[in-house]
Amino acid sequence: MRVLSGEVIDTVLRSLYVSGVATMLSLTWSVPASYILALRQRTGLVEALLETLVGMPTVLLGLLLYFLFSSSGPLAPLRLLYTPQAMIVGEAILVTPLIISTSHRLLRNAITTYSELALSLGAGRDQAMTLILRETSPGIIASAVMGFSRAVGELGIAMMVGGNISGYTRVATTAIALGVSRGEFEEALVLGLMLLAIMLVVAVALKSLSRVYVKW
Amino acid sequence: MVNIGLKDVWYRYTGSSSWSLKGVSIIIQNGETVLVTGHNGSGKTTMLKIASLIYRPSSGAVLVDGKDFWVLRESERTSVRRSIVYVHEKPVLLRGSVLSNVAYGLAIRGVSSGEAVKKCREVLEELGIWELHRSSPHKLSAGQAQLMAVARALVLDPEALFLDEPFAHLDSEKREILVNTLIGRQRQGVSIVISSHQVGYLGKLSVNKTVTLENGVVMRAREKREKGESNS
Ligand SMILES: Nc1ncnc2c1ncn2[C@@H]1O[C@H](COP(=O)(O)OP(=O)(O)O)[C@@H](O)[C@H]1O
Ligand SMILES: [Mg+2]
Repeated sequence: MRVLSGEVIDTVLRSLYVSGVATMLSLTWSVPASYILALRQRTGLVEALLETLVGMPTVLLGLLLYFLFSSSGPLAPLRLLYTPQAMIVGEAILVTPLIISTSHRLLRNAITTYSELALSLGAGRDQAMTLILRETSPGIIASAVMGFSRAVGELGIAMMVGGNISGYTRVATTAIALGVSRGEFEEALVLGLMLLAIMLVVAVALKSLSRVYVKW
Repeated sequence: MVNIGLKDVWYRYTGSSSWSLKGVSIIIQNGETVLVTGHNGSGKTTMLKIASLIYRPSSGAVLVDGKDFWVLRESERTSVRRSIVYVHEKPVLLRGSVLSNVAYGLAIRGVSSGEAVKKCREVLEELGIWELHRSSPHKLSAGQAQLMAVARALVLDPEALFLDEPFAHLDSEKREILVNTLIGRQRQGVSIVISSHQVGYLGKLSVNKTVTLENGVVMRAREKREKGESNS
């Protein structure tokens, strides 16, 4: 079973790790940004911009980050080029428009409904906000799962700023690309299917987890 | 003990070009029961939400025991709001069980869960829906959901209770349960404000004052309900 070698498993796990951390990092700014956007009135232009950025070619973003991180770029002192950290930053930026544009819509309806309910029952401002986030959490988790899938499946950033270094920055997509270029189709296919299977498990687990919340 | 007054209240929804309330002034005295009537779109819901301190008037004042509510600091507002509760016409359902929905207001007041369950049980039994406490609120009928929303308000022992079209989705049996519950609260001195576009539902519930709205203006405000108007 050459195709299920330790290296393959290692690569898949790295994919999940890099994209998982990137998604969580993105949530730290995407959720507050969605909330702020949801409170605003005329946001058509911002929405259009975000929706355009959802489809941004990952190689383009990879290239921009490459210029920033490369030895002659402004962020060179951070020494991020060809590290997993660079991939995490890149993917976190990549999934931001997707998470904001899906979750701000959800929050917009929820803010009116639940803040009214919270006020009507004597909640303070913070308690109202907590209620809004609690009630929208399944939707926000769903949009994070979409972001995660996009991050796992992207190739451009991982290639440009990760560099496909074996045992260090090699993730599933760069490994598949390499396998294909070497004519190792079987290995590439197994890797891809394994990754999809694990992502399905993650998505299902998060979905059921977000449903079980019942206090009493 | 709470007196609520609206003084020349005007209200316009964000993004709307027309006024939903045009200079409304009313007083809800402590312990009084007030019926607000008027056609759909006359401004009943808007007025109730303003009087229950949810919406801020575009102009005019809301006085709670003589104090201008909207000039208070945020923390003071929250403590005033704790004794005044509004029940939506269309119940807002939260995730979790019926019980956790009903307990929400107690939970944010820091009431221990044991005490909260006891209180919720008392009220849910009074309203005849305790056996549903474990269900998801999304599985309730419209009438049951309405009663759940009323229970969520009653567990807080409010001094003033605002009910927006509370009888709209209730069958005659549930209507009677609710009327009896409200009569009990009247006896305890709770102020009750009910909106209804039909006047026929109140049964034995006595009313101190009827306010009729038309296009955002108070057309009539009468002390005591006139005989014959109550029964349809
Ligand atoms: N969210 C809203 N945005 C804009 N206009 C609204 C909104 N809610 C109600 N209105 C308008 O305000 C007026 C009063 O509505 P409402 O208070 O709901 O009346 P009622 O409860 O008597 O049916 C109506 O003309 C209605 O169209
Ligand atoms: Mg209404």
